[in-house]
Amino acid sequence: MADSNQFNLSDHDYATKELSNSLISKIEYLKVLNDAIDEQDDRLVYQLIDGQRYSKEILKAKHSVADIENESLILDVHDKISAFLSKKLITYLREMYPFFYFEEIGVGRFQFYFGNWWGRRLFGELDVLNVEFKFNAEEYEKLSRAFELEVENKRYNTDEINKISEETDSLQELIDGQDSRDQRKDEIRKELKRQSQEKVSFWEQSKQKEQRQKLMSELSKLTDLDEAANNAYQKIRENEEKVLNLSKEDTLLGYEKQSIITKFGTFENFIDHNNSLYRDYIADLIARKGRVD
Amino acid sequence: MEKNNSNGTVTFYPNNYENSEEDVHSLSTKGRLLSYNNQLKDSLHNGLKFTELLDELIETTDSQNLLRAAMELTLFQLDTAYLVFPQQYSQSDYYLIFLNRLLQLHQNEQVILQSSDRNDELYHEFPGINQNGYFTFRIDNTEEGGAYYTEKNTGEILFYLNFQRRILHFNSRAITNLLVVDYSKTYNYETVKKFEMYLMALGEYFKKDYGFDVDFNIMDPSNSTFYQFGNSGIPQAALDKLFIQAARENFMLVTGLHNEAILKLDNDVEVTIYDKSIEDSSATLNKWGLVVTDDDHKVSWFDLLFQYDFIRTWYLDNLSSLEIQSNPLYF
Repeated sequence: MADSNQFNLSDHDYATKELSNSLISKIEYLKVLNDAIDEQDDRLVYQLIDGQRYSKEILKAKHSVADIENESLILDVHDKISAFLSKKLITYLREMYPFFYFEEIGVGRFQFYFGNWWGRRLFGELDVLNVEFKFNAEEYEKLSRAFELEVENKRYNTDEINKISEETDSLQELIDGQDSRDQRKDEIRKELKRQSQEKVSFWEQSKQKEQRQKLMSELSKLTDLDEAANNAYQKIRENEEKVLNLSKEDTLLGYEKQSIITKFGTFENFIDHNNSLYRDYIADLIARKGRVD
Repeated sequence: MEKNNSNGTVTFYPNNYENSEEDVHSLSTKGRLLSYNNQLKDSLHNGLKFTELLDELIETTDSQNLLRAAMELTLFQLDTAYLVFPQQYSQSDYYLIFLNRLLQLHQNEQVILQSSDRNDELYHEFPGINQNGYFTFRIDNTEEGGAYYTEKNTGEILFYLNFQRRILHFNSRAITNLLVVDYSKTYNYETVKKFEMYLMALGEYFKKDYGFDVDFNIMDPSNSTFYQFGNSGIPQAALDKLFIQAARENFMLVTGLHNEAILKLDNDVEVTIYDKSIEDSSATLNKWGLVVTDDDHKVSWFDLLFQYDFIRTWYLDNLSSLEIQSNPLYF
């Protein structure tokens, strides 16, 4: 029995059709993606997982077609897609950036080192899905600064090392001056003793007192220096350690700079390549596919 | 025991003379004479036996007989209570003579056996480093026995030799101090290398002819030789220094997959510095050291210390963490 007071609801057939269409679209999306993966078509996978970027950067489309709903279907398998795509990408990167060494740290996750030399720096992570280096900001900044300093003919830590070396030199002087300080202290003590035993006239007493003060203050200065000299050994050792670490860093940066110059000519050229990495890589995939087909 | 009698000649009595008066009283005069005569005969036989051994040491062309003669001579008690030989060689002398004979048997007698009138002893002199090398053996008088081949002026002990235990162990510290530090100031690589080859030859002959356990230490050129550092922990600061110093000489210290440090040198020579304990899952202590590899198994750590100034400087400056271990039982 129909109750005329009930609200009018939408048509069930329409709802069925709408849902079915949506699901078919999703199934279609997943099917295309799955086929692309079966066929090892990395280019198509890139297009499917981020249509907006693909159409903007590769197709140069004015109005990009975003398929965010479907793309969000696969969010939970991004690490697996990343693992899948990493194979060809890293092969490509090894050729383009022979000085980066990639290490897998989880499913589809990779970090990379700069160089294969001793003490090489961990330089960042690779974002496979976006074909992008996520550089470690601090390390990258050092390298960038090292390139800037080249015009001044300086290394990254030149100033710091010079500063520490100067300090070490003056500390060493302090240590070396121990003998002459000891000698002077001896003289002062003898003089003080002599004065204390000397009988002076009333008129000269204030003059003697003044002289005594002067000697006492010199003596106290000398003992302060002795104290500083005692601590100097420790400080010199610490400085040596600092200089070692700074020199090591300079050596590392030297190798890094050399690697970039050998491959890219300039640091700017290296930056340009990093910025166009996505485009260049997809273009390379297209070119390869063309060659294979 | 000896006693002076009234006319000044020396009479020897049996050893237990003082402790057992009764025995003496119980012996007749004839008995005493016979006993004395037998002791003399024994002593003379002992002396003859000695001369046979000495003949062997000087003349034999059989390396086994040579070793036996040397072993016995270094332990030989020539003097007895009844017979004393005033002119004798020392134990050290027999060791030295033995080494020369051994080298002779291999037609490789490079070291010269000299006689010092001043010290009344034999010593080894090596052509090329004559002024700075006076080698003798210092006898180990402890129960362990054996003898140390020692450069007398510096007191540096190059190796320990023990016939009974059948071992010859070289001493890395002395080889470094004497050959690498001292001799490198005065002599070129070729001269010192000749001396080192003489030491190596000795080791080889002991190994081949007698099956001795020979530890060549830093002179061992085999690629599989692991030169263990005296200090077992990671020599982090030293490795950082090597990285910097090598870079200045245009050599690169690279890092391996297992955190080992690899220094690639000229002619495909490589030094790998690593923690050997990672090869042994049951190991609880780190065991850092280095191996030197080259295509012909010819290059040892010693050679590199000599050939690369920066490696020598680095090694000597960081001895506290890098000094290659010698057998701690003997050095």
